[in-house]
Amino acid sequence: MQNTVLLEKLQGIAGKSRVSTSTADLYCYSCDASQIRGLPDFVIRPDTTEQVSEIVKLAHDNDIPVTPRGAGTGLSGGAVPVEGGIVLDMSSMDAVLELDLDNLQVVVEPGIVQEKLNAYLEPYGFFFPPDPGSSAMCTLGGLIANNGSGMRSVKYGTTRNYVLALEVVLADGTVINTGSKTMKSVAGYSLTDLFVGSEGTLGIITKATLKVRALPGERSVLLASFENPELAGRAVVKVLSSGIIPSACEILDSDIIKAINAYDPRIGLPQAGAILLFEVDGTENSVLEGIAMIEDACKSLAINIRTAANKEEREEIWAARRLVGAAVSRLDPMRTRVYVGEDIGVPIKEIPRMLHKVREISEEFDLPIMTYGHIGDGNLHTGMCIDVLEDREWEKLNNAADKIHRTAIGIGGTVTAEHGVGSARVDYLEMELGKALEVMITIKKALDPKGILNPGKMGV
Amino acid sequence: MDGMDMRSILKCVRCGTCRSVCPVFDVIGWESSCARGRMLVAHGVAMGLEADKDVLDTLNMCTTCGLCEYVCPSGAVPAKVIEHTRHQLVLHGRLTEAQKELAGRAKDFGNPLGEERERMSWLGESAKDVRERADYVFFAGCLGSYRYPELTKRTFDILKNYGVTVLQEEVCCGSPLLRTGSDPGRLISKNLEQIKKTGAHTVITGCAGCYTTLKNDYPEGLNIVHVSEFLADRLDAMDLKKLDLKVTYHDPCHLGRCNGVFDAPRDIIKAVCDLEEMKSNRENARCCGAGGGVLKGYPELSRELSRRRIEEMPEGVDYLVTACPLCRTNLMRGGPKVEVLDIIDLLEMAME
Repeated sequence: MQNTVLLEKLQGIAGKSRVSTSTADLYCYSCDASQIRGLPDFVIRPDTTEQVSEIVKLAHDNDIPVTPRGAGTGLSGGAVPVEGGIVLDMSSMDAVLELDLDNLQVVVEPGIVQEKLNAYLEPYGFFFPPDPGSSAMCTLGGLIANNGSGMRSVKYGTTRNYVLALEVVLADGTVINTGSKTMKSVAGYSLTDLFVGSEGTLGIITKATLKVRALPGERSVLLASFENPELAGRAVVKVLSSGIIPSACEILDSDIIKAINAYDPRIGLPQAGAILLFEVDGTENSVLEGIAMIEDACKSLAINIRTAANKEEREEIWAARRLVGAAVSRLDPMRTRVYVGEDIGVPIKEIPRMLHKVREISEEFDLPIMTYGHIGDGNLHTGMCIDVLEDREWEKLNNAADKIHRTAIGIGGTVTAEHGVGSARVDYLEMELGKALEVMITIKKALDPKGILNPGKMGV
Repeated sequence: MDGMDMRSILKCVRCGTCRSVCPVFDVIGWESSCARGRMLVAHGVAMGLEADKDVLDTLNMCTTCGLCEYVCPSGAVPAKVIEHTRHQLVLHGRLTEAQKELAGRAKDFGNPLGEERERMSWLGESAKDVRERADYVFFAGCLGSYRYPELTKRTFDILKNYGVTVLQEEVCCGSPLLRTGSDPGRLISKNLEQIKKTGAHTVITGCAGCYTTLKNDYPEGLNIVHVSEFLADRLDAMDLKKLDLKVTYHDPCHLGRCNGVFDAPRDIIKAVCDLEEMKSNRENARCCGAGGGVLKGYPELSRELSRRRIEEMPEGVDYLVTACPLCRTNLMRGGPKVEVLDIIDLLEMAME
């Protein structure tokens, strides 16, 4: 079918104003925050499941790739149309469809922004716990498709733990519902779990039933400073094996500390080789007890320990921490943060070893590598800034990222703990998954035999 | 485009934080309508992307409010990059009818409104109080001169008590041209020559657009103050009565967030009545929707931006006060339930 005919048909489904082929729009939907690029032929902003279904059916009949996109905040190219075709910008399907607090759940459309969902839930005393750094702009659809998590995952787990049911448009346009409103169900394969984290390669999420949690009454944040990241890593292992489960456990190395202070000078973090930020939430007594236990576990390794003075300081610290991935770009006007090799995860016991390896890689490639992340669950973000106009720096950067990925796999870790595979990490999947990748490919072929859904992603 | 300009564009890491604050994106919803999209398009243009109508619209729909710059974690400066890109495109003859009209009128009439009337006629009988030399110059601005002449005269009538004069042949400060990519040409030098002649060390203005332009685009060495700053420092000597009013205040982007003038207007308000803040205020204040050429080029978008700003007003206030005639004009278009006042209007109510 010719593009002009197709355009008319797409406009007939979604409405003229919801379909764009303008140069500016195609350009703006050609990337996310990763280095992956791909120009779409059409960008569509559907309003309803029926529209999504009709669009996908049309695409299926005409062998046109369809790439779903939330806010495009991803770091793996997941929402980038690497083979062209249609980008479905789901962000205008952003309604809360049902609030069912007696059943501790909320039903949402995929385009709702995480922070807006939590602003909606807060007056009722509830929250949706997964909180990535992009909470202010990322959509729930993107979070579900990537099984995103964030700082609270050490205690509250990942998005997967909160998805009870999904409405999904399959590759031929069929609409199915997975899961149920019950807290437990073993009726059949867990298709909900299959679609969570499938990065739009198996179906397009158009509705989600999510578990919500009661907001904790109290929170407290403890900052512990260390001479180097490895000592901080040892402290984390000690804290977690002491029985306390913090609601956040973050590591910041010395450059990240500088970046946070540059982004928000009010915070004034002490300069050190590394800082651990622990948060404990719960009742007043359990918070006091938890903080005391963490302090006890850290004191033989830390050079300084203090707790945040009040709610304002606590919120300032977390706000800056959420954005520090990009804020490292502030440290040098000539350099920009480039997201590659930034999301490894290792078994908790291996954290100090991985931190040491990262330092060795940094020295080997003569490239500063900053470390921060959700160290409490073994998820380390490595931040590299380069002069993006220098080809040689790109080469160093990519070589360092490759080594970081291989090292993580080598010690039993993963190349992506929460950002996703997308196109950026496809090359490492076979190494990490072995024959399991073949099973993934089989599933993909069964559900999307024509391969129209987000092609070029996840190694399938 | 030289290397440093390209680095400014590439400073954007495309994290999308601007999606959470960009008021234009909030209305339009397409990626091309937020700062991240505009940075991508600016990059495209620098790399040779053909600037068709959609590309021009993407770049020109930015009000240059700077909220994206304020929240940007990586330190990117989209408003500056957009102004720079607009300028590059104008140099190559790529501009919209609205841009052309603004530039043409400013060149032909010395103001972007296309007014042929005598600019300084607002002075009326106060023309006799204009001095040739003074320490302070009151820069009336185009909107002040042609759209709010009475307010401008009343402002001068207060200021002249402090030895303030005006420029006899004032022309547009250049702001509308600079924001929309055109060269302010002779406007800046014409104003500068006159300021120098007066011997003034300080220029006072009541307009946020004039303020940021005089402060940041004119040669250094001039002290620029907003009329609210000038008068806030002199409140103690004024005989002000307390008004039984509650008002809210809209921070003009180019006065507040872009130049840090937050307290002076609030000091005046608090000296005469009660202030209740808008939902977003000070550094985080949402744009009224008029700036950057958006009111001129995209009036319906501009009205919707204003309407959403008006929705942020607290209930039960008597007036919406601001400190910029362009904001005032556009806020009125957003349909507020109460009158929109300039900060000087409010001050005068307490002086009577």
